[in-house]
Amino acid sequence: MRTQRLTSYSYLLLGLFFMGVFTFIPVFLSAYLSLFRWNVSSPEPAFTWFSNYLEVFKAPLFWLVLRNNFIYAFTTIPVSMCLALFLAILVNQKMGTIKSFYRVSLFYPTMIPMVAAAMLWVWIFNPGLGIFNYYLGFLGVPRIEWLYDMRYALIAIIIMSIWKNFGYYMLIFLAGLQSIPNHYYEAAAIEGAGGWKKFRYITLPMLAPATLFVFVVAIISSFQVFDQVFIMTQGGPGDRTNVLVFYIYQHAFRFWDLGMGSTLTTLFILGLLFAIWLVFRVIGRKVYYEV
Amino acid sequence: MKFNRNFRHRTGLHLALMLVSLITVAPYLWILSTSLKFRTEVFTPTPKWIPWPINIQNYLEMFEMAPFHLYLINTIIVVTGILAVQLVTITLAAYVFARRNFWGKEFFFFLFLIQMMIPIHATFLPNFLTLKNFNLLNTRIAMMLPFFASGYGTFLLRQAFRQIPRSLEDAAVIDGCGGLRFLWHVLIPLAKPTLIAFSIISIVSHWNDYLWPLIVTDTPEVRTLTIGLGMFVQQESGADWTLLMAATAFVTAPMMIFFLVFQKKFVESFMLSGMKG
Repeated sequence: MRTQRLTSYSYLLLGLFFMGVFTFIPVFLSAYLSLFRWNVSSPEPAFTWFSNYLEVFKAPLFWLVLRNNFIYAFTTIPVSMCLALFLAILVNQKMGTIKSFYRVSLFYPTMIPMVAAAMLWVWIFNPGLGIFNYYLGFLGVPRIEWLYDMRYALIAIIIMSIWKNFGYYMLIFLAGLQSIPNHYYEAAAIEGAGGWKKFRYITLPMLAPATLFVFVVAIISSFQVFDQVFIMTQGGPGDRTNVLVFYIYQHAFRFWDLGMGSTLTTLFILGLLFAIWLVFRVIGRKVYYEV
Repeated sequence: MKFNRNFRHRTGLHLALMLVSLITVAPYLWILSTSLKFRTEVFTPTPKWIPWPINIQNYLEMFEMAPFHLYLINTIIVVTGILAVQLVTITLAAYVFARRNFWGKEFFFFLFLIQMMIPIHATFLPNFLTLKNFNLLNTRIAMMLPFFASGYGTFLLRQAFRQIPRSLEDAAVIDGCGGLRFLWHVLIPLAKPTLIAFSIISIVSHWNDYLWPLIVTDTPEVRTLTIGLGMFVQQESGADWTLLMAATAFVTAPMMIFFLVFQKKFVESFMLSGMKG
């Protein structure tokens, strides 16, 4: 028994080692470094307690970045989740081989690199030559300078991100739909339940675990948005598309302000863990799990 | 009457799906189309969807402008390197969590779960400092290291291992096939669908990695496709759309081809990814 216990630990060792060095130590390291002034004007780290945090909260740009990121999250998450659920229900209907065509065309954006997708949309949003303005013109929308206009740049990024991400959520919902036993619907039909009632009292509750999963994934990914901002706008114009991770990147790897970068990183981790905890606290307990 | 209603319902269904599919597919067709045009063909007042005459010169020219073949090789090395180590770490850990009892098991499992929740982007700054200390910046191994352990993969595989009946292990032990041999000969073959699903997800997500390789690389010799594309864009600064779209199409091509060929496996894998979560 004792040797078995030792081998158990040894099997875990490799995974724990990499996890420790590249995930857990970094979390504590950035929390520690956040207490130091460490930038170009102060090349040797100098302990300054919480002054970095004060500086972060005092910077108006930080609040703008936070606002941008929340706008991004509060638009992309509900829109892509509703779209995903709606399309999952449609694709789940009985139909012939055309089903795989639909699945491929709705899901393929997930497969391509975000950088390539961003490039593609830069071309589509091109004010003069882009097809987006051209086809919007048919609807009577005047020419918009999408990525160069402070009012529209974030909207453009939101549109492309929804296009890129909803397909994955759709597949998760589809998996959830397929796990609902058919006899639930049959029983409901015998009881005389109509389409809406079936959806409301069978489909929705049975999809709760899938919905929770998608929701958590969507929260995590919407606060990690970076690639498309980097390629499409570099945070501009006028920082209207500057988001949390891009802001961290700027501080750490453009201005080489490692103390500030660590402070922002720490706030980022705390905020996100708190959000996930809240989701599980509020919604998680209502979800029925089959483990 | 019934037929009529059914027919209308069906038409509505297909109309809706067709419309959305068209909107999602159009952007990709549009880059393919642009990448096959002559430079002057881009400047048309109405979008020209079918490129004619076809020009494949862009795809040859992009290789002269930047070492995309090198980027491709680097990407393959990094992606397979990450996956190979991940498979070892997650299989061993998942086995232990699914089958063994030892002191601290819950705690360690909790650590693996927490890793899923910690945003990977939040570890990049300290990881950059660590790699700098070990003089590993600007290497291919640097691009792989932070991803070697996967709490997510461990969790997924543990669920698969747990569904395999215990009696099988008892029988195997009696036959002298315990421990690692049991893992190798019984558990792994039985958990193959999960292993394939995890592999596909890992390949796709690391093929698409951007921020981390951007931070740790600064010469073309080690850069991956995504970084190469980003650099190419800056180098060309949006002047030549046909060339840029050729490069974009080239970067997406490997995953797209894989996806179209193994469509069913890909879809199944991504569906499985959320089931057990």
